Amino acid sequence: MKKILVADDEMAIRLLYSEELKEEGYEVYVAANGQEALEVVDKIPLDLVILDIKMPEMDGIEALRQIKEKRPDLPVLLSTAYGEYKQDFATWASDEYLVKSSDLDDLKAAVRRHLRE
Amino acid sequence: MAERTAFLAQMVEINTSTVSFGERLGNMVHLLARHLKVDLALYFGLDKNKEALSLQISSKAPVPPHLKLEFPWGRGTVGEAAQTRSNIQVDRRQPGVAEANAPLEKIHPAFHTLAAFPVADDNFLYGVLLLVHKSERHFTAAERQKVRLSTLMLAGTLRQALMQEEAKKRIAELSVLFEVGKALSATVELDDLLERIVTTTAKVINARGAALQIIDRVSGETRVSSKYGKVPGVLVCPPISETAPEARTLPEPPYIQGQAPNAEGVLHYHLAVPLTFKGQLSGTLCVFDKIAATGQFGPFDPENRQLLFTMAGLIVSALDNALTYQQVENLAERNERMVRHLTALQEISWAMLSTVQEDRLLDILLQGIVLENGLGFDRALLLTVDETTRTLQGIKGALRPPASPTSPILAQALAMPLALELSLADWQVPVRADQGALAQAVLQRRPQLLRQPPKDPGIPPSWQAAFDAQEFFVVPLMVKDRATGLIVVDNQTSARPLEPEPLHALQMLATQAALVLENAHLYSTIDANNRELMLIRERMLESDRLAALSSLASGMAHEIRNPLVSIGGFARRIEKMVEQNSPLRGYVEVIKEEVTRLEKLLREILDFTGENLSYFGDHDLDQLIEDTLLLVQRDLDAGNIKVEKHLAVLPRLHCDDRQIKQVFYNLFQNARQAMPHGGTLTIRTQPVEKEDGIYAAASVSDTGGGIPMEVLHNIFNPFFSTKDYGTGLGLSIAQRIVARHYGQIEVKNELGYGVTFVVTLPIAKYCLVKDAGEKASLASAVNVPSGGRR
Repeated sequence: MKKILVADDEMAIRLLYSEELKEEGYEVYVAANGQEALEVVDKIPLDLVILDIKMPEMDGIEALRQIKEKRPDLPVLLSTAYGEYKQDFATWASDEYLVKSSDLDDLKAAVRRHLRE
Repeated sequence: MAERTAFLAQMVEINTSTVSFGERLGNMVHLLARHLKVDLALYFGLDKNKEALSLQISSKAPVPPHLKLEFPWGRGTVGEAAQTRSNIQVDRRQPGVAEANAPLEKIHPAFHTLAAFPVADDNFLYGVLLLVHKSERHFTAAERQKVRLSTLMLAGTLRQALMQEEAKKRIAELSVLFEVGKALSATVELDDLLERIVTTTAKVINARGAALQIIDRVSGETRVSSKYGKVPGVLVCPPISETAPEARTLPEPPYIQGQAPNAEGVLHYHLAVPLTFKGQLSGTLCVFDKIAATGQFGPFDPENRQLLFTMAGLIVSALDNALTYQQVENLAERNERMVRHLTALQEISWAMLSTVQEDRLLDILLQGIVLENGLGFDRALLLTVDETTRTLQGIKGALRPPASPTSPILAQALAMPLALELSLADWQVPVRADQGALAQAVLQRRPQLLRQPPKDPGIPPSWQAAFDAQEFFVVPLMVKDRATGLIVVDNQTSARPLEPEPLHALQMLATQAALVLENAHLYSTIDANNRELMLIRERMLESDRLAALSSLASGMAHEIRNPLVSIGGFARRIEKMVEQNSPLRGYVEVIKEEVTRLEKLLREILDFTGENLSYFGDHDLDQLIEDTLLLVQRDLDAGNIKVEKHLAVLPRLHCDDRQIKQVFYNLFQNARQAMPHGGTLTIRTQPVEKEDGIYAAASVSDTGGGIPMEVLHNIFNPFFSTKDYGTGLGLSIAQRIVARHYGQIEVKNELGYGVTFVVTLPIAKYCLVKDAGEKASLASAVNVPSGGRR
């Protein structure tokens, strides 16, 4: 079973994403900020990470940088309420940049794509 | 006694006769010889230097001119009598008498008795009367008395003759001096004076011709200044200059007198004296061929010479006066002209300082150059150097207006528009050395006086005919060490020569004009820049307001997005969980759809606030419209809307293609929604020329009946909508995008028929072609959004 980490400071989003992804057959871990996300990455042999950008303590951009340092092979998707950073995602070395939407089809399709399913 | 009385009577008769003095003296001597019955009675006159006594009168016959018979003072009986002032009688037998009086043998080889009587009055010895006889002869007391009487008469007559001669000479000299003085003082015009000098000289001296030679002070060459009468073809006036220096040591001023053959070999007499002016030789005065009483030509005598010297002195002082006068007059005239030109210059300067408008300045400058009371040239042309293309471009020219008594004073005239203006728009000369005199003047950066340049490549063919002036003057307008333009002047109409004074004044004017014009140019540049800055400031203010609104909207949108995602996401989850026919399903459906609508609104708001990036590039407007049409084609077809396209071929636009597509997308959607029952959508593109360049205009028209007047003023306001659906942001977004492209969006409302939206966008390239400066500013302005954002 593929292991996915969802890092978002909004509890509702964490819940929504994990429910939906579990339903898709993934093992879902959650974190409320970048720091927590890094801890999970250290402990769990994850297959994919979904990062919110705007988070307290450590934001998604910094978390992304550190995750890619630790595990360059691990796919990281940025999921954010902001559209304006989209052009920078490549320089941040994220694998996908998604603007949040109530319709999670795009997110799920991206996850599948990066897990090569 | 009676005989003595008769002798006396005869003597008195002779003395009072009207014949000449010479004849009278001859008659007296003859009478005496006859009365005393002596062989000869001779009169020896004492010369001026009292050195010798020479035979002048004989009782026998007139003394031939070639006969020279004289006794030095104190020598011979004659000389002795003169020296002792006493009567002396000797005869040949006395020792030494024959030897001492040997010269007498020329006229009386056998003289025996010699009796000498001094001819003198109380204070002056005139000469000696000598009686000669071939034999011994004694004179009685009565005879001696006769002789005594005769010598007195002779002395009286001689005195008379001398006095008359003296008087005559005085009169002649005075009249000559009077004549000369009169002639010389009659004029101070040098040429006239020289003419009079030679004429008077010739007449006074009674010469056939006269010539005045003056040495040119600059070149040192001698030239004939004036001549009168018959002057030999080859002037024999001698180069006195060579003899002049040593001349001062001579008792008499130097002169040259003699004879020389003329071109035909005929001998001419000449006499020349130097004209010395302040110790320096300044010329010669010559006379030719003295006309004698007989009408024959002959040599000049010492009296003529003396007179010529006197004349020379007079001439020199008269010449001096005339030259000084001429110099003073020249100076005065020059000063007057200078003052006039300087006054004009000052007036023109003042006038030029009164304005900073380039056009007005050019008029004042040209006016000042051609006006009669300005610098007074016939024609003035002004050309400027275009630094980017290195071309001399004709600006304008002016012709001198005809002077009239009602001509206003210069200051007023300068304030008026050009009376006779020439357009030089077609005059373009590349600034290259092979492009004629005008280009040369720019390259060499100094004024040039040009003599009629035929077929000068710098003069356009249409101007060749008008450029037939003898000479014209070109002055570069210099700013620092750069020629910014040229002023060309000539006197083509009046064909007057170009005088140095106005040219000098023109150069001074050009120096000032160059600076004033440069200042005006800088001023207008600053002015234009200022206006552009004002425009940019306005746009920035506008964008500030929008930015404030944007940041508010964007902050809100982000805050709303997360809850919306949760609400919508969970609603979808619930939807999956509830039974197919449960009433909850309908509620969840509502939540889901409302969230979707809110999310769409959110996207539009974020679009409006400029969240999205802009990518500027060169795009074909028609192609953008076509692309956008494709997006809405299905909707249009479904709404039974016909599309009419009238697309012109336009230059490419520098724009963000996605944003422009958004504009048309919004406009097409609006049009579609305005025609719920179908209609015609007309799209038209065309170039439009505006004040600041060329624009592409695209109009989108519908046949939806138009917008009600009461809402027309609101249509561009954000969130305003007449529709039950939509965000009300469509036109606001369109307007904002167009503004970002420095374009405009206008609405033409035809109530009862439809609405036309006209979008005009600048074509940077065309603004570029029209005005280099404007182009640069426009191009950079267009670039502001792409470079300035982020």
